Amino acid sequence: MTPFWAVLPFLVYLLGIAVVPIFFGHFWEKNRNKLIVALLVSLPVFLYLSSAPHGGALLGRTALDYLSFMALLTALFTISGGICLRGALVGSPLVNTAFLAVGSVIGSLVGTTGASVLLIRPLLRANDRRAYATHIVVFFIFIVSNGAGLLTPLGDPPLFLGFLHGVPFTWTLRLLPHWALVNGALLALFAVIDRIQFMRERRLPRRRSHTPAPLVVEAAGRLQLQGTLNLVWLAGMVGVVFLVGSFGERYLGDGVLRAAVQIAGTLLFAALSYKTTRPEVHEVNRFSWGPVIEVAVVFVGVFVTMIPAMSFLGERGSTLGITKPWQFFWASGALSSVLDNAPTYLTFASLATGVASAAGGAVLSPDNLGALAAHPVGRELLTAVSCGAVLMGAVTYMGNGPNFMVKAIAEQHRMRTPSFLGYTLWSFAILIPIFLVVSHVFF
Amino acid sequence: MSSSEPRAGLTAMAKSLLVGLEDSAGTDRATELAIEIAQAQGARLVGLAIIDEPDITAGAAMGIGGSSYKQDRDKILIEDAHRRAREHEELFEHRCKKASVPARVLEVSGRPAEMILEELQHHDMVLLGRDANFRFETQAADTRTWDLVLHRASRPLIVVPENEVASSNAVALAYDGSVAATRAMRSFVSSGLARGRELHVVTVHENGATGWEIATEAVQALEELGYKAQLHNIVSVLPLAKALLQTAASVNASLIVMGAFAHSRLRHLFRGSATQQLVEQTTIPLFLTH
Repeated sequence: MTPFWAVLPFLVYLLGIAVVPIFFGHFWEKNRNKLIVALLVSLPVFLYLSSAPHGGALLGRTALDYLSFMALLTALFTISGGICLRGALVGSPLVNTAFLAVGSVIGSLVGTTGASVLLIRPLLRANDRRAYATHIVVFFIFIVSNGAGLLTPLGDPPLFLGFLHGVPFTWTLRLLPHWALVNGALLALFAVIDRIQFMRERRLPRRRSHTPAPLVVEAAGRLQLQGTLNLVWLAGMVGVVFLVGSFGERYLGDGVLRAAVQIAGTLLFAALSYKTTRPEVHEVNRFSWGPVIEVAVVFVGVFVTMIPAMSFLGERGSTLGITKPWQFFWASGALSSVLDNAPTYLTFASLATGVASAAGGAVLSPDNLGALAAHPVGRELLTAVSCGAVLMGAVTYMGNGPNFMVKAIAEQHRMRTPSFLGYTLWSFAILIPIFLVVSHVFF
Repeated sequence: MSSSEPRAGLTAMAKSLLVGLEDSAGTDRATELAIEIAQAQGARLVGLAIIDEPDITAGAAMGIGGSSYKQDRDKILIEDAHRRAREHEELFEHRCKKASVPARVLEVSGRPAEMILEELQHHDMVLLGRDANFRFETQAADTRTWDLVLHRASRPLIVVPENEVASSNAVALAYDGSVAATRAMRSFVSSGLARGRELHVVTVHENGATGWEIATEAVQALEELGYKAQLHNIVSVLPLAKALLQTAASVNASLIVMGAFAHSRLRHLFRGSATQQLVEQTTIPLFLTH
């Protein structure tokens, strides 16, 4: 049985990731410092696993998962960073709602970060003369940066972690009704709010411009999509992930070879994207490797410290009082809103294996979430965890990577964005009622 | 009422005036007023532009991967703050040169309130636009800077509203008998700004007799300093700020002098602060001291 103390580094690390950037922002800026912290919290876990049965195998398996995860994130980031939408649109309620609607779909294809990178700057440009535009940024985060990522493992890191742990690639398509309800409600609400704000602005005295010129000036002109070759690389990458994920075990086994093929395949398309994208596209997107390096460094600690936490929850899951789908939805969601949603997803998925095992049938393992996805009770729990982790990442700026990215880009465009508390008030007012409906209808 | 002239040797003059620079209408008026005072007194002006780096780069709640975006955003905002500061400085220097007023500019990096309070030590007074936002990169309005400067300024502070003020000689001195009010009155006199001005002592009190006593005290104190003043004893149940502003408007005052935050914070908590209300509602520049 996994001792509780082995779980502490995971808890401390997740809390640290949330709190350190607030109080020790300058320290956290350097990736070297993040790596030091990641290695320090991982050390007790290394020591524990070195003496635990199958500890070495677990570490090895985790290393492969980590490399696969990072390869996919790098590829998605590189490919979406090579596409940009140039030109001018006028930010009317119809145009804005259409933008968000497109974002809600493509988020599951290029990832919520990719969709956010692709759409946020054109949307900000289209609305740079709006006097009241805060709601546009807020709903963008709700829809494109979070709700959009529910339908495929590419959509959001939690779902990709689930895929790496055995959840079939197409399993998340069963979340279509949940995706439709949340995004549909948000789009409808946004259309109404944007219309009200738009009409309100028309009653304002005419001024030359309501907002100062954006700090980052990009060329206007005819609307065009640049870097379209990246759509080919995207299709290729998705193909690799799908094929290796669905058929890899049959032909390549379930070990190093399969992981290596997946990693090499995704990185190949990342490299092709980087090499074939024109520098001016990277410049418009302000592409840099910084975010990927940061994620790579921080997730070293997440992946290592997660090992005993997942075992602990898998062993004791049924005794911790969370047994119903609606409880998994809210618990995974609540933690995902303040801690990163990827490790939170795995935590609760592991917990679900324990609960589903206790419900009857085969004993499930956190290493094989595919079995959980196929289990009659487990399937419902995993659905709840997936929805909670992905959707409630929108509740605060901390819940998902693209949230703060969108805020930072908006501020570069001189758009006022809510403070942490202000944004949380928005999300409580709008998202929680929708999540109550989701919980009632589906769980 | 004839303008006042002090007894010889009793009035110092303000020699160095600090002006907070940013792009609000209030700051524009504050610069205008500072130039007028400098011309009248032979003072020099220092324009202070502030780059609020600490607030721009302050820690923030973010998800994994957000740090890189934050650094990029911080860099852009700081560059923009420097660019805007340079624009404000150039405009300020141009205006001072046109008015033949000696001036220089100072660009500092730090929290606006701290920078203003620190720099104020080296000058005789500071003029700030009422709608000034020194944290323009990160905030839509800047109440925090105002709150700190209003409470802690060690020299006189002139708050200048954004509207145009009719040119007039009259000054309304708010007086309630408190230490702060007495200090404000003496500070105003010693700054040299009372020279050649028509002084009106205004007391607002529920009890007419008490108000009269208080006002008389102020008028006598001014006479000892060589200034004649007209007495206005207002018996009113209106909030102090409102009554004072009404009286100041009735005498066509172009400046109001007042002791700031004469009462405890606890009292302000329950009864509101007259200074705060006055700053928010005034359309006439305020000369404030503690």
